[in-house]
Amino acid sequence: MALDELTREFLIESQEGLDRMERCLTDLEERPKDAGLIGDIFRSVHTIKGTTGFLGFKRLEKLAHAGENLLGQLREGKLVADGPAITGLLKLLDGLRSILKAIEVEGSEGEGEDAELIGLMEALQAPAKVQVKQAVRVRAGTRHVPASSDESRPAKAALPAPPTSSSSIAPAQEPIESVSQPVSAPAAQAPVEAEADAAKPRTQATAVGTAAESTLRVDVTVLNRMMNLVGELVLTRNQVLQATAADPNMTLLSRRLDMVTADLRETVMKARMQPVSNVFSKMPRIVRDLSQSLGRRVRLQLEGQDTELDKSLLEAIKDPLTHAVRNSLDHGIELPETRQEAGKDPEGVLKLRASQEGSHVVIEVSDDGAGIAVEKIRQKAIERGLITPQRAAHLAERELLQLIFVPGFSTAAAVTNVSGRGVGMDVVRTNVEKIGGKVEIDSRTGKGTTLRMRIPLTLAIIPALIVRSLSQSFALPQGALSELVHVPPEQAAAAIEWMEGAPLYRLRGKLLPLVFLDRLLMPGGDHKPSTERENFIAVLDADGRRFGLVVDGLADPEEIVVKPLSAVLKDIGLYSGATVLGNADLALILDPGLIAARAGVTMSAGEEQAHAVEGETDAEAAKKLEYLLVEAAGRQAAVPLADVLRIEQLPLSRIEYIGYRPVLNFEGQLLPVEDSGGVLAPIEDKSDRQIIVVVCREGNRHVGIAVSHVLDVAAGGDLFEAGTSQRTGGVTLLKDRVTGVVDLGGVAPLPMVQNAPGAWSELAEAVR
Amino acid sequence: MSDAGTTLNRKGNASATLVEMCSVRLAQTLFGVPITHILEIVGAARPQPVPLAPAFVGGLVHYRGDVLTTVSLRQVLGLPPRDGPQDILVLESSGGCFGLLVDSVGEVLTVSSDDYEPNPSILDERRRALFAGAYKLKESLLVKLDPERLDPQQLSAAQAA
Repeated sequence: MALDELTREFLIESQEGLDRMERCLTDLEERPKDAGLIGDIFRSVHTIKGTTGFLGFKRLEKLAHAGENLLGQLREGKLVADGPAITGLLKLLDGLRSILKAIEVEGSEGEGEDAELIGLMEALQAPAKVQVKQAVRVRAGTRHVPASSDESRPAKAALPAPPTSSSSIAPAQEPIESVSQPVSAPAAQAPVEAEADAAKPRTQATAVGTAAESTLRVDVTVLNRMMNLVGELVLTRNQVLQATAADPNMTLLSRRLDMVTADLRETVMKARMQPVSNVFSKMPRIVRDLSQSLGRRVRLQLEGQDTELDKSLLEAIKDPLTHAVRNSLDHGIELPETRQEAGKDPEGVLKLRASQEGSHVVIEVSDDGAGIAVEKIRQKAIERGLITPQRAAHLAERELLQLIFVPGFSTAAAVTNVSGRGVGMDVVRTNVEKIGGKVEIDSRTGKGTTLRMRIPLTLAIIPALIVRSLSQSFALPQGALSELVHVPPEQAAAAIEWMEGAPLYRLRGKLLPLVFLDRLLMPGGDHKPSTERENFIAVLDADGRRFGLVVDGLADPEEIVVKPLSAVLKDIGLYSGATVLGNADLALILDPGLIAARAGVTMSAGEEQAHAVEGETDAEAAKKLEYLLVEAAGRQAAVPLADVLRIEQLPLSRIEYIGYRPVLNFEGQLLPVEDSGGVLAPIEDKSDRQIIVVVCREGNRHVGIAVSHVLDVAAGGDLFEAGTSQRTGGVTLLKDRVTGVVDLGGVAPLPMVQNAPGAWSELAEAVR
Repeated sequence: MSDAGTTLNRKGNASATLVEMCSVRLAQTLFGVPITHILEIVGAARPQPVPLAPAFVGGLVHYRGDVLTTVSLRQVLGLPPRDGPQDILVLESSGGCFGLLVDSVGEVLTVSSDDYEPNPSILDERRRALFAGAYKLKESLLVKLDPERLDPQQLSAAQAA
């Protein structure tokens, strides 16, 4: 139904007013004496009433009027905003909302009577005032007051006129008229609101307040269009930059274009940003209603409300967030008695926190409830055949927690009783992943649960690495890319291992399955073997499935504008979109998840975990260890990263000797240097070559380890936990075959640290 | 195009309506697309191939900020592919926009509905599904192409069936 401009404006404004009212009401419960809050609520309702007057929405006007009367009493301090009053006002809010909804959908207020609600409004005023029609009011009161205290009853149930209400309509309507008399008089004295009806438009303006002066409502489609155009501009800029790179005169101009484009893009994106408070503000009401009906006592804390997120993304997280909050209340926070028994504050705390971390916004829902009973998840998972008992016995808590996201796991009431959480958790994950986000869960039994959602700031423009294959360009989203490895043709034979037709690469000791992009895209084609061409391995992480995508070449990373593909091409199941590159070429955007699926890199959660368990006897312990991989005299060794302070590259001549012991005079401090690898041994003609010293902490001393190369940082364990706890490879492989992973106090192959204490005392003496 | 001047074959029938068709020659046949369905003609384009796409997909082109899927008329008709740039008719169908990749676009001909005849029964089944009848010109036939039947979505559905 088409609405005229005025009505549409009215709807938007009223909805905003009601949103504000909702926020104020939940605040009011905490500070019932706050006159400012009551004033705000009054204004919201009053504005609606005023506008409906000349738009001719009688039903709405009547209801708003009744509410206004009650609010007037509150404002004058004749009534106290106690629990029933607030509950009643919330019901009024729902009532007004549903009528507004009806207007929006059908163009009219719809049939229906609000006698019950109006009666409630009056009944709430009854104790304080108006004895005129006592008899009628008492009737209305006795009928409706119980409804207000009965929290489990849905508020809307009061709205459609029940058959019994026909008898109460007539008497209920009458008192309104009489009540309105005394109340509208004091309202008229109020400075701003109660001007004559003719002045209403001005009243609205003041009610909206200062925010209205600096803001402007813009149609979302206009913003979308602007975003598209900016995307085009970014593409054109990329092309101009490439085309003019050689011309010095143009370089300056194109730099400027570059800057302006970047600024413009940022600004348009900002225009689409909305504070998360738009979503957070719905939560106090939900928490209030739910905690009352569940008998919980909950304090809601909101943090980081001004964190901003793209409007479309904000819309998308509304449901998952509500779901998470419900879960926390339903299954997280215990009943007050239970909490007291456990020695906790009977009032639980539910915290919603939003913050920006780089190109992501992190939204956390945490409670201090019972946490998730991991043991029960284990049992349930075994029962449901998700994992075998043997595997289950080995799984770490964190990994077990991730199981609640498995779709099969989260159905039915069984889970509610069992895990204490999990109803629809897969839905939360699916929704968040749909917009490119990630969900993690963390829980400690008895202490509480934290659900963390990582949401990208925007979807339209993403950083991507441009790769070449089949003499074509493809874009790989940077988000999934963890590293790049170059294997030149002469090394390919040794570096790429084949296991019965399956290509593998040992990445820091773990076997990484490889997918050759050209072979994947053109099966049966005539492809050069990897020993005859350059191989670039893009190590990708697609939802915990790690694999290496082998391409022929790499180009620069670019900010790409994602363009949708037609359904026919999307159905191929490899590409998530296309983009125009700086050189005006089109490039297809590869979807790492789809590639993994197509190439068969599909380890189910069960398999993955089993894999991890086989390789690792103590997942908990191994998880904490990250190593710096070093090489000394051809042997590899690992140093716990936590102990590494810095890595210094310096000429060999910097090393001095005290007796036979090499030391380094480093910023005025003497550092014993261990050299069991013989790195410091003089080599002819290379007396002043560069060497590398890894400076480590050992207890409260520092020691240096001379090495010939620092290779990398390797994680022992689930570095890639990524919300799914899936990981590939085992630590055994790392330990047994590639390196002896040792800690600083450990043994071969670099057992220098054991000698250090002795060396230190020797050194100290020598220095003295 | 030599037969360009011989287009009109009006018989003076008052009820006849005139239709403007954009002519396209491919191999021996003259095809026509009603210009009301054509958004734009992009000349000398080199579409980007899409690995693993259905055979009828001629590749992707950048068109006014969007990435357009093209259908290769040669592929659809089972003709060998042609090297070098080709012209693209940007067509509108109910499923959205797509490009029709042809060797080269000729001029716009005005034909009369009087000269229209549906597909002959001896036409092979595949072509019968693609063509929307023909107009009898003085010197040749103009085969009518219907964007709806050439829509990639449609073609892929037909292929699956």
